[in-house]
Amino acid sequence: MRRFLADIKKYREYAIYSAKSGLKAEVADSHLSWLWWILDPLLFMLVYSFVAIIVFGKGEKYFAAFVFIGLSSWRFFSGSIKQSVRLVSKNSSIVSKIYMPKYILIIIQMLINAFKMCISFSLVLGAMVLYLVPVSYRLVYIIPCMLVLFVVTFGFSCIALHFGVYVDDLSNLINVFLQLVFYLSGIFYSIETRVGKALGAGYVTLLLRCNPAALVIDSLRKCMLYNTEPDFLALGLWLIVGCIFSAIGIRLIYKNENSYVKVM
Amino acid sequence: MEDKKYAIEVKDLRIRYRCLNKMSIKQSLFKLKKSNMEIFEAVRGISFKVPKGEIMGIVGKNGSGKSTLLRAIAGIFAPDEGSIDLHGHTVSLLSIGVGFQKKLTGRENILLSGMLLGFSEEEIRERMPEIIEFSELGKFIDRPVRTYSSGMHSKLAFSITAILETEIMLVDEVLSVGDAKFKKKSFKKMKQLINDKDRTVVIVSHNGDTLRKLCDTILWLHDGVIKMQGSTKEVLPLYEEFMS
Repeated sequence: MRRFLADIKKYREYAIYSAKSGLKAEVADSHLSWLWWILDPLLFMLVYSFVAIIVFGKGEKYFAAFVFIGLSSWRFFSGSIKQSVRLVSKNSSIVSKIYMPKYILIIIQMLINAFKMCISFSLVLGAMVLYLVPVSYRLVYIIPCMLVLFVVTFGFSCIALHFGVYVDDLSNLINVFLQLVFYLSGIFYSIETRVGKALGAGYVTLLLRCNPAALVIDSLRKCMLYNTEPDFLALGLWLIVGCIFSAIGIRLIYKNENSYVKVM
Repeated sequence: MEDKKYAIEVKDLRIRYRCLNKMSIKQSLFKLKKSNMEIFEAVRGISFKVPKGEIMGIVGKNGSGKSTLLRAIAGIFAPDEGSIDLHGHTVSLLSIGVGFQKKLTGRENILLSGMLLGFSEEEIRERMPEIIEFSELGKFIDRPVRTYSSGMHSKLAFSITAILETEIMLVDEVLSVGDAKFKKKSFKKMKQLINDKDRTVVIVSHNGDTLRKLCDTILWLHDGVIKMQGSTKEVLPLYEEFMS
């Protein structure tokens, strides 16, 4: 644990700069450059709203904001985990030439994804203003929700990174699995109303409490759109689970990271 | 003080490559049944000490474990057995293109690589003009690295590690970078770096000339064990005889 904190401090500057340059590199060759950071989520929001409202003819209250809270958090969660699986081989030029704790790579990737998520969330705020959503002090609950999202994502990513080095087709497996979780996370629909009607309230609690992504998304919607209290007990439990996963992941990485190079 | 005198102490070092090829899930399921892993030992129990300020060359034929040893000292590989003690000195492996982001400019990549080597942003900015001048890249420093020729690429990489100095430098066959002029220049720079009394340098090279000019002692590796170790004058002629 102490080593973890010391390493974070040591590589903090590099991680931040590397995340910045990673972002820059992504748009370096495009004509609209940084405008894509805003355009990309904005266009997605339009597409999904179009599909839901015009094609399926119905949607939840404040639909654009509703979908987008789900989609932005989901993209952060699944994006980080998916990228982690291949992170070591993607960065083989660094990994084979210099030592650094490999989870720094995860942190860099998460910083990049978090930056994109921030932009999406500011679009959500914009949509909320347009819809004239009434808000209250409960907006503050965004902070614990995000904390849970970050810790859980980091924990899962560490473990994905470790096994991704040894098992080549892990990424295929994870993609399929994440796709399943995607549909179970209630990004286009409300778990509470849809699943509640179809299967009963028991399944709602089950789905929300067993799936951290669904839980965080639901909680964010509750505090941002509906002005109600999120499920703090479940959030707290997932925070603990996330911490445990992170601890296991960090330990795994520390123990094995020096053999990663030998695999490549 | 024992501790102060040596910069690198290697004891009974063994490094194995298990047949750690990437596996598919199917293969890893099969593996549970039969566990005959092929083990290749690249470095087989060697120990040596390098006094502070010494320049040591490592020679040996291809596949004798030189680069593996160097990487182990740099901390990239964990030893399977034995230990490597650097007594808290900073170390850098001088080799080509540490983590360049191809889409970014040379200038940004200098910052990135420098930070990776553990320098702060200010220190790097201070040294930046020196690095750019040494690399001879001129206007190209503000163009993306992907537009560089391979020569320019390695010149930049060499300049970064040569100017951002660390206490222990590990050099892996990079003295043959760039054109004849740059080669001469980098050789001179190496020599200047090496002449610093506090710096310990380990060089891996096949070039007898380079070694004769730069090194104090030579370590001769053969199939993962030390065949000979001693002053350059003693070891190098024997090695050259052996190889011819």
